[in-house]
Amino acid sequence: MLGATDLAASGQSGAEIPRRPLGRTGLEVSALGIGGYHLGSANSDAEATQIVNEALDAGVNFFDNAWEYHQGLSEERLGRALRGRRDRAVVMTKVCTHGRHRNIAMRQLEESLTRLQTDHLDVWQIHEVIYENDPDLIFAPNGAAEALLEARRQGKVRFLGFTGHKDPSIHLKMLSHNFPFDTVQMPLNCLDATFRSFESNVLPEVNRRGMAALGMKSLGGSGELVSEGAVVVTMGLRYAMSLPVAVTISGIDSLSVLHQNLAVARGFQPFSAVEMQAIRDACRSGASDGHMELFKTTKKYDGDLGREMHGFPSSAELPV
Amino acid sequence: MPNSSDAIPLRQFGRHNVRISAIGFGGHHLGDAPDEPAAVRLVRQAVDGGVTFFDNCWEYHRGKTEAWMGAGLEGVRDRVFLMTKVCTHGRDKALALRMLDESLHRLRTDHLDLWQIHGVCFENDPALFIRKGGAAEALEQAKKQGKVRFVGFTGHKDPSIHLKMLATGFPFDSVQMPLNPFDANFHSFEQEVLPELNRRGIAALGMKPICGHGTPVQKGVLTGEEALRYAMSLPVAATITGIDKPEALRQALKVAQGFVPLEPSAMQALRDRCRQYAADGRFELYKLSLQFDNPEARLAHGFPLDMQQVEVREMLRMTENSGHPYPPTQ
Repeated sequence: MLGATDLAASGQSGAEIPRRPLGRTGLEVSALGIGGYHLGSANSDAEATQIVNEALDAGVNFFDNAWEYHQGLSEERLGRALRGRRDRAVVMTKVCTHGRHRNIAMRQLEESLTRLQTDHLDVWQIHEVIYENDPDLIFAPNGAAEALLEARRQGKVRFLGFTGHKDPSIHLKMLSHNFPFDTVQMPLNCLDATFRSFESNVLPEVNRRGMAALGMKSLGGSGELVSEGAVVVTMGLRYAMSLPVAVTISGIDSLSVLHQNLAVARGFQPFSAVEMQAIRDACRSGASDGHMELFKTTKKYDGDLGREMHGFPSSAELPV
Repeated sequence: MPNSSDAIPLRQFGRHNVRISAIGFGGHHLGDAPDEPAAVRLVRQAVDGGVTFFDNCWEYHRGKTEAWMGAGLEGVRDRVFLMTKVCTHGRDKALALRMLDESLHRLRTDHLDLWQIHGVCFENDPALFIRKGGAAEALEQAKKQGKVRFVGFTGHKDPSIHLKMLATGFPFDSVQMPLNPFDANFHSFEQEVLPELNRRGIAALGMKPICGHGTPVQKGVLTGEEALRYAMSLPVAATITGIDKPEALRQALKVAQGFVPLEPSAMQALRDRCRQYAADGRFELYKLSLQFDNPEARLAHGFPLDMQQVEVREMLRMTENSGHPYPPTQ
């Protein structure tokens, strides 16, 4: 394991969290974003509210969510926490048709807006594009792609995107449709760099197209990179944030995790190219069978709704 | 459908002057038989029915299927072509040779006709196999010692991993892979690996003709007979099918005895019927999940175990895990 001391020396307390352009949208977002799933895992509504408010106070303005996280609890918590401060936040949520009709997408949009207590989303993304026929289903007549455009026409969402954690080839299939996506979310971490790599295969293409890249799973989704000893938290997060992305979305389920991650983000300085390569090289062996990137190699991170729509066994029937 | 003879056709084993039955008796399912006498009866009936190719593996049911097959083949060992697999999963040569001796002991024989590397499923498996001190050296040594006649490998995950194994340049005699009408349209071994094997004169062994547990048959997409016929009609030396009870054996023998391959148009019709379900891999969970990855493989690679898997439950009962982790590669 690489040490925490020199390479991972991170932000400066008191300094600002850097803002970066969100692709060509004209928006600027904080280099660190708050992941919506973990907001639903926080111990209480009160702690979730405090996470959101402290994050806003520290200069974080990007908030991630999804219609299906914790059966709506994640969106509700974010909506409550942002009451009165909605305008300071870039709010993203995701639609969970998993291949179904645009009407379902539009219905989910209304539910998301209600839960989030807002009349518009800044970014609306198609969630969990992880099955190989998802792009075909999304772009089929009456698929979710049509819903994205309609929602934008109606003024209910400003910008459009998609996300997935499975395979770069599926992301590239989505991009090959030349749909005007503004954002593309993907797992980016120091192991991904050498295993089924979004960093190598998708990130350059997203930047070439002027879209905003949103990184996620900087520590493996549940901290696997740390618990398996590949990196320490600060280095793993800093690696992800040093890539050419607009924002790194980080799952934060407690104030202590928030404080730890804010410490990396404040006055953030990216690693040098040499340091990045040294980290990739140190992680290569551990990356090489994907056992710390379980979202790529197992069903562990694939949601039950998506599994059902694709005829897969549920997580109870087909555990990791 | 039957040909002039009602025998099971024998086919050439790759580049060697050896012939094996077009259908192989899958060893894993034998462990699902109610008891050893029932398993012994299944093996004997298969031999009497013309099956000469028997599949097994060191880690199936923690050794039980090898022991039962060994009992079933007592006295008829010379009439069959016996294969089992070694479960190093990236670990070293010494472990492989220890497993070989255990397999021979359980199977009650002094040699295997075919010894294969089991479960080549992770992207770094080929590198770990061919490294200095890796399992490749065990295959060579066992061959030299006369304990095995031929060597090969198997895996159910991704064609690219099979191609990486072939790219190591190791002189494999056989390669086993999932072949069924779903595979034909999804991460396809049929398209990407099978032609390469035939070009190289390596014996192709098909498995999972009904996708492992037969889910598409239960869901009514196709019949077990159709699926088996499809797999056997491909250019393979043998199709391995799981036999756990007399009905399964009867069905396999019914298809295999006097087998005539399907016409190309019938093959295409089956592919087309399965295409829609193949598109997200819903019936090929061995490609997309850990479901069919054995616990030895997961342990060696540091993946979480599946507590519902039969071997895991047996392992927990027996707590005789032999694994030690593989060393890092460059």
